[in-house]
Amino acid sequence: MYDTQIVQAVWGGVLFGSVYGLMALGLTLVWGAVRLLNLAHGAIFIVGAYAAYWVVSSLHLPILVALPFGVLAAAVFAYAMHLVFIRPVIGKPGFDNATLVATVGISISVSAAALLIFNPEYKVVPPELTGSYIVAGVQINYQGLLVIGTSLALFAILYLFLTYTRYGMAIRAVSQQMEAASLMTIPVVQTYGLVIAISGGLAGLAGVLLSPLFFLNPQSGFNPMIQALIVTIFGGLGSVRGALVAGFVLGVFESFVEVFYGVAWALPGVFILIIVMLIVRPNGLFGIGEVRRL
Amino acid sequence: MSVGVVSQIASARPAIDQAAAPWRRVSLLTIGGTVLAGILIPWLLVRLPIGDYLVTLLILFFMQAVIAQSWNLIMGYGGIYSFAQVALFAVGGWTAAVLVSSLGWNPFVAVLFSPVIAVVAAVGIGLPTLRLRGVYVVLMTLAFHELARVFAVTGPRFISGGGYGLVNVPTFQFGNVIGEQRTIYLYYLAMVIFAIASFVIWRVIHSPLGMAVTALRDSETYAVSRGINQLRVRLILFAISAFFTGLAGGYMTHYNGGISTSVFDFPILIDLLAMIVIGGWGTFGGPILGAAIIIALDQYLVAIGDYRALFEGLIIAGIAVFAPQGMWPLIRNAYDRYLGPEPPARPTPESQRGGVPS
Repeated sequence: MYDTQIVQAVWGGVLFGSVYGLMALGLTLVWGAVRLLNLAHGAIFIVGAYAAYWVVSSLHLPILVALPFGVLAAAVFAYAMHLVFIRPVIGKPGFDNATLVATVGISISVSAAALLIFNPEYKVVPPELTGSYIVAGVQINYQGLLVIGTSLALFAILYLFLTYTRYGMAIRAVSQQMEAASLMTIPVVQTYGLVIAISGGLAGLAGVLLSPLFFLNPQSGFNPMIQALIVTIFGGLGSVRGALVAGFVLGVFESFVEVFYGVAWALPGVFILIIVMLIVRPNGLFGIGEVRRL
Repeated sequence: MSVGVVSQIASARPAIDQAAAPWRRVSLLTIGGTVLAGILIPWLLVRLPIGDYLVTLLILFFMQAVIAQSWNLIMGYGGIYSFAQVALFAVGGWTAAVLVSSLGWNPFVAVLFSPVIAVVAAVGIGLPTLRLRGVYVVLMTLAFHELARVFAVTGPRFISGGGYGLVNVPTFQFGNVIGEQRTIYLYYLAMVIFAIASFVIWRVIHSPLGMAVTALRDSETYAVSRGINQLRVRLILFAISAFFTGLAGGYMTHYNGGISTSVFDFPILIDLLAMIVIGGWGTFGGPILGAAIIIALDQYLVAIGDYRALFEGLIIAGIAVFAPQGMWPLIRNAYDRYLGPEPPARPTPESQRGGVPS
């Protein structure tokens, strides 16, 4: 009986953790490279999810075709957002202010648009994988395993991308010293666009993979985004490794709170943890301060 | 020493005074006219067929403007991205509601305690939060917003009212006055709160405290190196902001006859943000103008329903990026051109040097 609960909590925690990690990865990447707090991350999440839903429900294509479509739609949306709202203020004095408010505005508009196009009903996105098996009375479904595997693989890929490829090096150079990077003929503005598009694609992927586990409605991007923000801050803003570790730590913590104290206390519990955490270690788990990021 | 130097020093003095006493830039006529108009408007409006409704709109405007102004004080002037504004409003509202419904106090007395408790809550939120910067503040204050919501929904019964909030609280009563007369009294009460809040916020903005927070916002390193105590200054500003937010919360509770947990819904926060951004971020009159614009537009936008949020979001994003000063500079320039007193003569290089004898 007690075993079941613990297995339940661990499974839920690892699952949530990997998803939070996936969302946080996009956030932390953008923050680290562009210094942009993208509060529209949750909106991009639902753009991906709704795009996949639309492909499945209207075009009657299998979800495996819809998955890349959703990711692409999210990336394109993020890039369009960059073109219209981010690019004009790059390097201007009020950058933080303007982008913070602008991304809030965008996320309002996206959920309103989702409400108008797809009504407020809960949508069901079919899972990529069906079936499950049972461990100690807990149902482990393959979709969940897919989510965990994908996010771990993406962390590895992103790490390799940032460390070894030319584009990755350009991103890191821009994140460390924008002026110096532009003097080394790195196209700074294009790099910003690249980072934002990658981050959007990650959010879209999270959206498509996650929606089968929960349900999709115009507001459902909000909670994952808040969780991702918490994970990002917990792990240290701009730290990719931190996002991974913090995702699992917070996921398991939340899941235990949920199983033993009830769902209502899950989010407040996490908030209390982060408040304590920020008082003790203001730079996060892998706090790298202002000097080195990514 | 020539007479010329003395007269130069004498002519330099009003300029210094003006910087220290910014209210002198607004003529008495404007202030008197505004106050008189504020007093007379409800008497004229109630003669219209829908006058009662228009007066309630004005009451709503006063309260939203107070909340938006105090949010702008910390967000626009302080550069602290606090999203705990609605939580502080709710603290004020719940204080008044609990005092009246559980302890049976008079609403007028209970309202006086709302700002006090809100300030206490603000200090509680501010101590861990205000040491941090930017994003961290956003998240921490959202956390407090969420904690307040969960507490209001699942807390003890005298607070949660079974999950919906306290929705049956006595309203303000002015003796046996009812109908239009009562609306007018409510209007005056709201107007007094609005006037006091605006005046205090204006004074704070132009005080050394206001200078200090603006300096902290613009260059923290520099401000701290000049001896400004970051936490203390921000905490005081946050408390002032919370004071008026809590007062507005108390007033609205007894005006509506209750406060429900739906105040924590995001559209409310978004409307307030829209007021600040559209009116003018970090300007004194911006939030007031923004509140007027949003409430006026609201009357027309009800018809288009869900499109409203769509446009609101796009407008917020567009103004934030392309016109970060909002609509306020338009009004400001018009005022300076047509109504304001003569601008003080620009100091000549001579007078800046203090009229060094030639």
